[in-house]
Amino acid sequence: MRQALIRIGAIVRKEFRHLGRDPRMLLAVVIMPVIQLLLFAYAISFDVDHVQTVVIDLDNSPASQRYLRQYEASPFFDVVARGRSLADVDSAFDHNTAQVAIVIPSGFSRTLAADESAQVAVMVDGSELNAAKVSQAYSVALNQLYSQELTRDWADAQGLDLSSLGLLEPRIRTWYNPERRSSDFLIPGLMAVIIAIVTVQQTAVTLVRERDLGTQEQIEVSPMRRIELMIGKLLPWTLIAFLDVALITVLGRTLFGVPLRGAAPAFALGAMLFVFASLGMGLLISALAPTLDSANMIALLVAFLPSFLLSGFAFALDQIPVWLQWISYGFPARYMVTIARGVFLKGAGFTELWPEMAALALYALVMLLISAVLYGRRSSR
Amino acid sequence: MSLKRIRLLIWKEFIQLRRDPLLIRLLLIMPVLQLILFGYVVAVDVRNLSTAVVDLDRTATSRSLESAFSGSGYFTITQQLASENDLRPLLDSGVVKVALVIPEGTQDRLARGEAAPIGIIVDGSDSQISAIGSGYASQIVAQFNTDRRDALGIQLAAPGIDARVRVMFNPTLDPINTMIPGLIAAIMMISLLAIMSQAVVKERESGTLEQMFVTPIKATEYLIGKLTPYAALATAQMLLVAAGGLFWFKVPFNGDFWVVFTGLFLFMFTCLGLGLLISLVSRTRHQAQQAVMFIMIPTMVLSGFIFPIQSMPAIIQPLTNLIPLTWALQVLRGAFVKGSGFEALAVPMLALVGFAVIIFGAAIVATRRRISE
Amino acid sequence: MTTTTTAAPAIRADGLQRSFGDTLAIADLDLEVDEGAVFGLVGPDGAGKSTLIRMLATVLRPDAGEARVFGHSVRTQAGQVTPRIGYMSQRFSMYPDLSVAENLDFFATIRGVSKADRRSRAASLLEGMGLAEFTTRQAQHLSGGMKQKLMLATTLMHEPDLLLLDEPTTGVDPVSRREFWRILAGLHRAGKTVLVATPYMDEAERCTHIAFLDSGRIKQSGTPDEIKARVPGRLVEVSATRPRAALAAVQAVPGVASAHLLGDVVRVLWSGSAEPEQALGAALAAAGVDGAATREVAPDMESVFAYLADPATGVAS
Repeated sequence: MRQALIRIGAIVRKEFRHLGRDPRMLLAVVIMPVIQLLLFAYAISFDVDHVQTVVIDLDNSPASQRYLRQYEASPFFDVVARGRSLADVDSAFDHNTAQVAIVIPSGFSRTLAADESAQVAVMVDGSELNAAKVSQAYSVALNQLYSQELTRDWADAQGLDLSSLGLLEPRIRTWYNPERRSSDFLIPGLMAVIIAIVTVQQTAVTLVRERDLGTQEQIEVSPMRRIELMIGKLLPWTLIAFLDVALITVLGRTLFGVPLRGAAPAFALGAMLFVFASLGMGLLISALAPTLDSANMIALLVAFLPSFLLSGFAFALDQIPVWLQWISYGFPARYMVTIARGVFLKGAGFTELWPEMAALALYALVMLLISAVLYGRRSSR
Repeated sequence: MSLKRIRLLIWKEFIQLRRDPLLIRLLLIMPVLQLILFGYVVAVDVRNLSTAVVDLDRTATSRSLESAFSGSGYFTITQQLASENDLRPLLDSGVVKVALVIPEGTQDRLARGEAAPIGIIVDGSDSQISAIGSGYASQIVAQFNTDRRDALGIQLAAPGIDARVRVMFNPTLDPINTMIPGLIAAIMMISLLAIMSQAVVKERESGTLEQMFVTPIKATEYLIGKLTPYAALATAQMLLVAAGGLFWFKVPFNGDFWVVFTGLFLFMFTCLGLGLLISLVSRTRHQAQQAVMFIMIPTMVLSGFIFPIQSMPAIIQPLTNLIPLTWALQVLRGAFVKGSGFEALAVPMLALVGFAVIIFGAAIVATRRRISE
Repeated sequence: MTTTTTAAPAIRADGLQRSFGDTLAIADLDLEVDEGAVFGLVGPDGAGKSTLIRMLATVLRPDAGEARVFGHSVRTQAGQVTPRIGYMSQRFSMYPDLSVAENLDFFATIRGVSKADRRSRAASLLEGMGLAEFTTRQAQHLSGGMKQKLMLATTLMHEPDLLLLDEPTTGVDPVSRREFWRILAGLHRAGKTVLVATPYMDEAERCTHIAFLDSGRIKQSGTPDEIKARVPGRLVEVSATRPRAALAAVQAVPGVASAHLLGDVVRVLWSGSAEPEQALGAALAAAGVDGAATREVAPDMESVFAYLADPATGVAS
């Protein structure tokens, strides 16, 4: 037993030496996560704001200008140009200088003065999806409110019954993320992505590399057992993964103010289980991949893409086709994102998150068992 | 320059590729996988959000509001609750994403001609859902208002605004229509960067590169011979993605084929150049892969491929212009979705030309210098 | 050094067989290596030397047959075999980015060598091999000869009784090769058993026993003297200004068992009863080859194996 620990210790020391001698690798596992964190937290957002708007006022009346001031005053619309004809709209959309166009036809104020509904055209560039969807909703709401104002003023002046003027006013409350900051949403999930990349890819590669180097044989003629080799190789990466988690958590909270509303121990346990599950996956890949190239590729396909796209990190999972949802259950990243988000934003703890934890534990166990079996057979035989 | 030697190099490259069956399979799987993932996950529309209703009014009005929501296709009412307090656990655990709270006395207020507030709660832990979901909810309420007014039969001879909102270029607002054009460009980039840099570095690792330099092969011939097969492969992948997008996802193509062709052609040189540069700075294949990841992640994130540039902080937006993919996306999306022509896309095209010249040029110069050393 | 008479051989192999796909690498091979021997495995490329050594090192499993190292089966008792052997593979099997000292320490640690022993043995081994001043240099930056010495030192750290060396001096400069064999000689004197595969004939000379391996079978085995004795005749070297012409000339001479060119010298195996110088000299003069000199030399392994490997004259296995 003591000998086993000594051997494992030798492998761990060696792995750290390798890491220390390879500055690029250090860069990849420490700097990259930080860069990704900054990128995602800072640059990414689905929030739509300051939509560039071009305004064509063919009426040029006080009424039309009063109407347009709604848009100018709105923080949502950013009037960047005033055009003179529809051609300007085409040009603006073509050249991507505006995503929304408001066209007020001539005769606008005349129509209003005649106590009729005046038409206004709102054109939205559908190739900018987020902006388009939200612009649609906003402009409709804006118009309704304005319209309501006009009607009420008029009815008031006429002394009319206002009952038909009752309007439902939506009051929108956003829970867990009142300022709707995307960074709060993305950062907890980002941890899952980064750990997946670091652990799965690196472990997959590290074991295959041993085989490639030829040192594998020397290890085979020593008393070292496969399981000791595996543990020794995985420990450094476990430590690094935890380091990354801690780093991101600290940066997320201090730099970006991501709240931590839930139980930190729950998060710690979840992270630990996730790291083991990912390591297990990396082990499995290294056992199955015949060459370093294929190990790399498979790790990319199995670790990176699913963590990025199928974990719920940035893209909602309940909106995707069912068969893809089933597939997403096969990747541990999904559970980790739920745990991270739950603990950070929703104040969740063990009681809410135990199904995900159990899933991760099961995953880790299965992966490690399969790998142990596969490794039990000597590679050169 | 000897065409014969170039042909020979190309042939050698293809043979090597063929001998690596895993690589071939991956090359074919990659575009398909990306089509699936991007088509079904990223480009997904927000629909059927699980919704809870707290109806404290219990009137005809509140019920018809409820059915307006459930009939929209955007919201699926899964829970009817008696009080707002019951909402918390459901939202906490993610069972519902949206809640509609209709306070007591809503119908009365409407009858009095007052504004009646309606509570809409969205789960903000998912940015996309909360932004779009609240947008839809607002729209439904607005429509409800309009319908109610029409139903009351009051043709108010009153001034008002009748705003017709028209969506140009992507009337269904289906995300896939902008995603697929983007994917075509993205996959060329991924393919060329990842696979080509691996191949070049592999040759350096195995020492055959040195061997080649003692032959009459000139640096230019070597480069052409090396790059052509991968350009061909990338083209094949692009066609696969385009076919998948056009025929499976039924993405409309409104534009001019030559616009797309030119844009991609220019972009290709940039990618080839980048791939070469990566292989120059990497000594091992593993390093090459790290370098590719290093470039790819910011590129995918900041180019507007997935996340809208409009939503990025003002400081960052100008930086996105430094990424070649940003311009390629503009060309492709412009051509596919808007039917834009050369004139409209002049700026992005020129940017692509600039990138191609600078990056490809630098790569060639650096490679030749390395070879002659 | 005393020869053990009653102890079991260090290695005994019976009917070993191993294929790789369709290729039969080792076929029905029997081998016996005495303790304390320096046993040379000689043979052309692809003969199966590496395969054999790897099977004995328990790194490769035989398809059929059995091999016992110090009495333990390589198939079922590998755990008892490996502590007593040191195995040096043909390819460089150290960590390129670790230093000489770090490599030594690592492999010794996992072999269970105690810290104190690691320190003292490393010091003396490095000293003895002339690597002492390179302890901190990364393995990838060592020259070919130093790399091999490092590998040898690593196999010696746990003081094994049997060394299995797969072409340890291939690609190494002659000076380093000589040093290497000096070290092996020292091990031999200390009573260690060495099984070494080598393509170099002059190294085969230095072994106590040799086996000639070809196409997976042992064609010849015995001590160097025994093997040389199997070649009938004497070895004569002919040097001439036109070696090819000389070769052609002597081949026709009766009494010449075989003749071949080694460099620009013609080596003749003379099985005739008469003195070779005269007959050969006559033939050479008749052929108009001037300036030819003939002299008899002691038969060496190279000529012996060339003869034995020649299907026309070689003794069947």
